[in-house]
Amino acid sequence: MSSRDAIFAALDKCNLPDAPMPSITIEPNNEDLMGQYEANLTKVGGTLVRVKELSEVQAHLDKAMADGQSVVCRVEGLNGNRELDAKPHTLQDLDLALIDAEAAVAENGAVFVRETASGHRVLPYITENLAVVVKADTLVANMHEVVKNVKLESGQHGAFIAGPSKTADIEQALVIGAHGACSMTVYMLD
Amino acid sequence: MALIGGIESHASAAEKFNRDVDRVNWHDKALWNLRHKRDLAAESQPEWEDLKQLGSEYKLHTLANLKHYLTEFEANCKKNGIVVHWAKDGKEHNEIVHSILAKHNVKNLVKSKSMLTEECHLNPYLIERGIDVIDTDLGERIIQLNEQPPSHIVVPAIHLKKEEVGELFHRKIGSEKGASCPTYLTKQARAHLRQKFLEADAGLTGVNMAVASEGAVAIATNEGNADMGVNLPKVQIHCMGIDKIVPNMDAASVLSRTLARNATGQPITSYTTFYKGPKEGGEMHVVLVDNGRTKLFQDELLAEAYKCIRCGGCLNTCPVYRRSSGFSYNALIPGPIGIAVSAGDDETHSLAWACSLCGSCTQVCPTKVPLDKIIFKWRRIHSEQGKLPYGKNGYMPWVGKFMANETMLNLGMASARTALRILPDALMKPFGMDWTKHRELPKAPKTGSFEAWFKKNRENK
Ligand code: SF4
Repeated sequence: MSSRDAIFAALDKCNLPDAPMPSITIEPNNEDLMGQYEANLTKVGGTLVRVKELSEVQAHLDKAMADGQSVVCRVEGLNGNRELDAKPHTLQDLDLALIDAEAAVAENGAVFVRETASGHRVLPYITENLAVVVKADTLVANMHEVVKNVKLESGQHGAFIAGPSKTADIEQALVIGAHGACSMTVYMLD
Repeated sequence: MALIGGIESHASAAEKFNRDVDRVNWHDKALWNLRHKRDLAAESQPEWEDLKQLGSEYKLHTLANLKHYLTEFEANCKKNGIVVHWAKDGKEHNEIVHSILAKHNVKNLVKSKSMLTEECHLNPYLIERGIDVIDTDLGERIIQLNEQPPSHIVVPAIHLKKEEVGELFHRKIGSEKGASCPTYLTKQARAHLRQKFLEADAGLTGVNMAVASEGAVAIATNEGNADMGVNLPKVQIHCMGIDKIVPNMDAASVLSRTLARNATGQPITSYTTFYKGPKEGGEMHVVLVDNGRTKLFQDELLAEAYKCIRCGGCLNTCPVYRRSSGFSYNALIPGPIGIAVSAGDDETHSLAWACSLCGSCTQVCPTKVPLDKIIFKWRRIHSEQGKLPYGKNGYMPWVGKFMANETMLNLGMASARTALRILPDALMKPFGMDWTKHRELPKAPKTGSFEAWFKKNRENK
């Protein structure tokens, strides 16, 4: 018997009493979504910058580049100073990556990004600093709401990212910047 | 479930840990700190109790229909280009992982936290076969360098002080001698591990949730190590117990709302990533493992242990865990949930007694695992098999007879009260045995027995 069959045969013997599939009846708290979002993003170590136009984001990129930083920009209409190579490993010395995010979640400060927005799956993690542009009208109250809006296609990778990489593995002391990005800026486009 | 080390009873191992009172207090405080943050996060969530109920119902529903969801998950994975493997035990799991690595001639493997691979003893298996295995979660890397198993399922190096980590890093990765600043040490680890990520030929992770309707796995980390690990090399492998299945994204959304809040008090982990297929030109494997799970599923109550989402909340709140540390359990997973899944394999027959039955674990659990009931049941199972720990077998029947005989009990208690009143503590303490080691004796009540007090004050009132 294959192990698959053996596992299924063992499960057949279990007969746990059936329990119905629950349904979520929790009402989203839509009060002051932007205020909730900013508070939670701050809590998880990220920074919110509200912008009216994309050109304001370009001004930030320009400043970073003038400071000598290498910038990959994946947002249409904006420019960085570095293109993606075929091999993602060369991104290891990247200073800043800017990508599109599709949705933002008020209850935890997260944004949803997928690989089509980043070119290489590893981009949002390997860069020293991560920035995303997200439209304010994609902001929803909680995780139940956001999973209705973002659907992964077959073969895709998608991530909820809430703030920079962090750890508290040494005596519970919070340190920002473990393996992923050491800072995260969310440009919220009104 | 796997046991670690030799066979030593919990009480004896805990006794050793308890000799260093300062360390015990320090350990206790570190864990309570997490518990406190968890309380703040739970209290700030008006629907917290609803989320717990939903989490419990989703997991119960999945466990009751596991075959259905495993089949659906497998079929959807295949559609997404993911290769699915099945392993009935740890040995087969290791062989499968090794065969994938061997096929691609992998020399360097980066791993991110997986209690399952610990359970299967994957690391030594692969290292023996010439593969350089690097655990990349900071806590896991620390204990890997220290050649220890994890002492906690979420914060595996919680038992070590920063000075000890500093000393270890100095010896193993060349950081400055005497350094103990967590920020400095974390940055040293970042640089050291970044090199490992860049050199890796394959990445392996555990799985927090496997979504049946999607054919996708979800992995939650704060450090981003899982994503750095699997997104750079060509081959990615995800190892999971069959209990990690959830039906759909709604269920995933519920559990993602409680997991981090209950673990560390964060609203969500920094990264919650869904993989629904391999990267371009890459390969993605999922290994589904039983290793004793279906055996526990035979019992309705014990099965509920697998509603667990491994948040660690029950460890942080457990007064026994906090004051005896993870290594005293002689089980890979310590604390209440560790007892729930490992007590059946415990040859010392002591694990089920490493619990005060205070029920705090059951209260904090985000999926309502009835931990105290399960632990109590394990005691009954051991007792029915005639395997009570350390002499309990000998004296418990006598205690039972004594307690059941009213005259004997009254007489005994009366003489105990008298003795407490007139004899010096030093003479009385030894009768309390272990109980009085760290406690003072109670004062004998002036009112005599409870019955006498009740007769006088409450009866007929
Ligand atoms: S049993 Fe509950 S509290 Fe304990 S680790 Fe599992 S989910 Fe968390």
